[in-house]
Amino acid sequence: MSDIALPRVVTAERSVKISLRIVQTAAIFIIALIVISPLFMLLIASLKDDRFQILADMGSFRAFWVSNPTLSNFNEIAHFSGELAYGRYLFNSLVILAVTVASGLVVNSMAGFILAWGSLRGKAVLLSLVVALYVIPQESIIMPLVVMMSRAGLTDTFAVQILPWVASPLYIFLFYQFFAQLPKELYEAAEIDGASIFRIYRSIYLPLSLPALATVSILMGIESWNQYLWPTLVTQTDYARPISVAIATFFGQDSIYWDRAMAASVLMMIPILALYLAFQRWFVSSFVGSAVKG
Amino acid sequence: MTLQQSIAATRPRVGRRRDPGRLMQELLMIAPAVILLACFLIAPFLLSFWTSMTNQPLVPRPTPVRFIGLQNFVRIFNDPLFWTSLWNVTRFTIWVLPVQCGMAFATALLLHQKIPGRNVLRGMFFLPAITSMVVVCVIWGTLFQYPSGPLNQIVGFLSAGHIQPIDWLGNPKWAMFSIVLLSAWQAYGFQMIVYLAGLQGIPDELYDASRIDGANVFQRFWHVTMPGLRPTHVFVLVITTIQAFKLYTQVAILTQGGPSGSTETVVHYMVRTGFEQQKLGYASAVSVILFVIVLVIALLQRQLLRRFDV
Amino acid sequence: MGKRLLSALLLTSASLAASAGWADAKTVIHMMHQGDPGWVKAYADVAKRFEGANPDVDIEFIYAPHDAYNEKFSAAVMSKQLPDIMEIDAPFLANYAWSGYLQPIKSLIDKDVIDDMTASNVSQGTYPIDKELYAVGLTDSSVVLYGNKKYLEAIGARIPKSVDDAWTKEEFEGYLEKLSKLDGVKWPIDTFRGYGIKTEWITYAYGPLLESAGCDLIDRKTWKATGTLDSDACVGALTMVQTWVKNGWVVPGSSGTNQFYAEGRPAALALGGHWFYAEAAAAMKDDIVVMPLPKLGDKGVSPNGTWIWGITKTSEHPDVAGKFLSFLLKDKDYREYAKHESAFPGLKSFAESSPLYAPGGAMAVAFEQASKTAVARPPHPAYPAITSAFMQAVDKAFNGGDVKQALSEAAQKIDEDIDDNDGYPPFNAQQ
Repeated sequence: MSDIALPRVVTAERSVKISLRIVQTAAIFIIALIVISPLFMLLIASLKDDRFQILADMGSFRAFWVSNPTLSNFNEIAHFSGELAYGRYLFNSLVILAVTVASGLVVNSMAGFILAWGSLRGKAVLLSLVVALYVIPQESIIMPLVVMMSRAGLTDTFAVQILPWVASPLYIFLFYQFFAQLPKELYEAAEIDGASIFRIYRSIYLPLSLPALATVSILMGIESWNQYLWPTLVTQTDYARPISVAIATFFGQDSIYWDRAMAASVLMMIPILALYLAFQRWFVSSFVGSAVKG
Repeated sequence: MTLQQSIAATRPRVGRRRDPGRLMQELLMIAPAVILLACFLIAPFLLSFWTSMTNQPLVPRPTPVRFIGLQNFVRIFNDPLFWTSLWNVTRFTIWVLPVQCGMAFATALLLHQKIPGRNVLRGMFFLPAITSMVVVCVIWGTLFQYPSGPLNQIVGFLSAGHIQPIDWLGNPKWAMFSIVLLSAWQAYGFQMIVYLAGLQGIPDELYDASRIDGANVFQRFWHVTMPGLRPTHVFVLVITTIQAFKLYTQVAILTQGGPSGSTETVVHYMVRTGFEQQKLGYASAVSVILFVIVLVIALLQRQLLRRFDV
Repeated sequence: MGKRLLSALLLTSASLAASAGWADAKTVIHMMHQGDPGWVKAYADVAKRFEGANPDVDIEFIYAPHDAYNEKFSAAVMSKQLPDIMEIDAPFLANYAWSGYLQPIKSLIDKDVIDDMTASNVSQGTYPIDKELYAVGLTDSSVVLYGNKKYLEAIGARIPKSVDDAWTKEEFEGYLEKLSKLDGVKWPIDTFRGYGIKTEWITYAYGPLLESAGCDLIDRKTWKATGTLDSDACVGALTMVQTWVKNGWVVPGSSGTNQFYAEGRPAALALGGHWFYAEAAAAMKDDIVVMPLPKLGDKGVSPNGTWIWGITKTSEHPDVAGKFLSFLLKDKDYREYAKHESAFPGLKSFAESSPLYAPGGAMAVAFEQASKTAVARPPHPAYPAITSAFMQAVDKAFNGGDVKQALSEAAQKIDEDIDDNDGYPPFNAQQ
C-alpha cells in the first residue's frame, strides 16, 4: 500500500516546489522590471549629450532609447575644473560618511544594547521617548539648529556636518529590537563568568549583530550621502562642502542642464552602491544558531 | 550538591558586587547617545515649543516679537487646509503601509533564498533606495506624464484603449495615489534590508527541526518564519507609519501640495508657512501639533502590537 | 656654525611670518549667489580679473543652489553672517530693504552703469519708501507670447509687429478658439502649468494679465488687498483663464513644459519667459514667432524682475563692494557668457550688443516690452505673503473652484499678514 502511495506524495511535493519556483522567477522578473525601468531611463538620459533632446524625449517612450550613446557628459563633469572642485567635494563626502557611520555604529549600538539588557529602570518610558524623538521631522528643527551651530562657531567644519546625525532614535530602536531578540542565556552565561556589561556587549552581542550593523551602516550611509540642505546652510566655502550640494547646482533655475544633471545623478549613486554591495554579504550567514548551540 | 555549586553558593552574588561599577558602565555606554540627542534633537525642538507661542518671523524684522499664547494654534485649527493636510497624510499612511511593506517583505523573502545571482539581484532591488529623491521625482514625473507618458501608454495598451489616459499628478483623485506609488518604489529597499536582517536572525535549526517534523513550505513559513519575524514586523510597522506621516520631499518637488490641496501634507504645510511666508511661530505650532498626533498614534500602535513584541 | 644657521633660519621664518601678516591686510569681500555651474565659473573668472587689477582685494564666494537660496539667506541672517554683496530676487527687494539688510547702492556704483540701466531695471531695484536704488544687475526678464507660425497662418491670425499693436482681448480669445479646432493642435496655449503650482512663475506670469485687465494684486497706495485683488476686473480676468482651462485649451500641469516644441507640436501658443526661446528655437528653428503679451484691457502689461545684486548694510567695505559690482557689470567676458545664455538685457549697452534683443532680433519685441509695458511686482515687504496667497488662489481656480471666493480668501490672507506686522511701518503711512 505504502509503496503505491509514496510516489504520489513525492510527486505532489515536487510539483508544489516546481510551481513555487515558477512563481518565484516570475515575481523576480516583474519586480525587476518595475524597479529597474525608471532607473534605466536615468541611465539613458545621462548618455544623451543634447539637453534639448532630453527635454524633447521626456514624456514618451523615446526616453528609454538613445541613438548615439556617448560618455561626453561624464567627461564634462569630471573635467569641469571650473570653480566647483568636484574632487574636493567627493573627498569631503567620503570623510563625512566614514566618520558618521563609524561613530554612529558605536553610539547607537551601545545605547540600543543598554536599553535591551541594561538594568536601568523605566526602560519602557525610555523606549517611548526614543520613538517620540523619531517623530520629529528634520524640517522643524533645522533653523534653530543652524543658529545654535553658528553661535557655537561650528559653521564650515566637518564636525557640524557629522555630529547632529550620529545619534539617531531610529537606529537606537533598531539595535534595541535586534539585541532584545537574542537569547538571554547568552547574557546570563557571560555574567556568571564575571564579564562586565561592556565586555558582554563588545565580545558577545556585537559580533552576533552583523546583520544589524550592516543594515545601520547602509542606512546611515545613504542618509549622510544624500544630505543636502543642511550642508548648504552650514557651509560657506569649498573647504567642507560635500558633493550633494554640488549636484544640487545642476537642478536649479529656469532651464536645467539635463545632460549634466542626469550624468551627475548617476555618478552620485556609484559610491553608495559600492558601500551597499560590500556590506550586504553580512546578511548571508547566520551566527545566532551556532552561538546558542555552543 | 557538587563542589562547584557549593563554592558558587558561598561566593557573593556576582550581580550585587558589581552594582555601582556596573551602573557607571551602563551610564557611560548610553551617555554619548543621550548627549548628542539632547543637543541636536531635543534642544532645538524644545525651542520650537516656545516659538510656537510667539509671532516670531523666520528672520528678524523691525516689528517686535510678541508672546501670543495659543493664537497660532487657534488659527491652525481654523484653517481648512491644515485639516486637509492631516487627512491626506492619514490616507497616505493607510495606503503606503501595505504597498511599501508588502513589497519589502516579498522581495526580502525572495532574496533570502539561495538563488543564482542573488547578490546581483540584491544590488538591483536596492537601487531605488540609493537614488536621491530629486532624481526619483524627475524620473517618475516623466513616467506620469499626461496624456501620453509611458505609464499612460502602458495602461492604454493593457486595456486595449478602453481606459482613458489618467492625469496621475494633475487629477485630485489620483494625485495622492501616484505619490504612494512613487514613495513605495523609492523606499521599499529600506524595509527590505530590515526584513533581510530579521530573516537572518531565525536560526536554521528551527527550519531543520520543522522539516523533520514533516512540515511543507507553507507550514514552515507560517510556523517558523512569521513568528520569528514578529519583532521585525512591529518595528517595520511603527517606523514606516511615523515615516509616512512625515511625508514632505516628494510632495514639495512634484505636486507642491496640489492639485487643489489633494496632496498637501502637514510637514509641507509647515514648511510653506515657515519658510515661504516666513511665519516661524506659526510653523512651530504646526510641528508641535504633528508631534503630539504622531506620538499618540505610534505609542498606541506599539501598545496594540505589544503581544507580538519580544 | 650651527648657531648661525639656526639664527638665519629663525630670522627667515620671522620675516616670512611678518610679510605674511602684512599680506593678510587684504580687504575681503564676500559675495553670496546662486545659479548653475556655468554662472559660478563666470563669476569666479571675473573675480580673478578684478583681484588682478586690485591686488589688495580678495573676493570670496558663498554659493547656494537655487532651491535652497532663500533658506541659506535666512540662515545667514540668523547667524549674523551676512555677506557684503548678495543676489536678490527682485520682488523680494522691498522685504529685505524694509528688514534693514540693504543699503542704498547708487553712490557706490559707477555713474555710467547707473545711467546705462533701463527703466525696467531701475524699477526692479528701487525701494518705494525712499525711492532709492538698492540693487543693480546686468539682466532683467520678460514674458512673451510665442507662436507656431504654421498654425497661426492656418487660422489667418495677425502677427503683431511691435508692442503697440499687440493682440486685443477679443482677438486673443478668438484665435484661441480657432486654434482649438485646428488639426494637429492639441492645446491652443501653454502657460507652463508644468512649472508647478507653487512657483514664483505664477505670480510673475499671471499677475500682469490681471493688471492688464485693469486691476492689481494689491492696491499700491493703501496697501490693502481686499477690494483690489477680488475686484470684478480681477475676478473677470482669472475667470477667463479658468474658462480656457475648463475648455481644455491649456496644457495641463502634468504634461511637462516642452509641449510647444515636442514632436507633433501639440501646443500652438506659449506664454513663456524669455529663457524659453533658447530651447524652443533649437527645436523649431524658423517656425517660431515672438509676439508681445496681449492687451486684456486698455494697455498691455508685462512682468519684469530677475536676480539682482545688492550691498548689505553690515558690509564693512561697501565702496569696494560697489567697485567690484561696477567691474562685474562692465566685464566683457561676463557679458559674453550672459549673451550666450540668452540673458535678457537690463543695461542699454548690453542690449545693443545682444543680437537677439537688438532691433530686428528675434526677441526684440521682448526688449521693447521692458520700456513700454513692464510693471514690477508689488514692491512691499509683504510680498512673500502676497505671492504665496495668489498661487493658492490660482491653483483653486484652475481646479474649478469659485474664482471670487478664491481671490477673496487670498486677499484676506494678505491683509492678515500686513496686520500681523502692524502694517509694515512706514508702509502703512503711505496713504
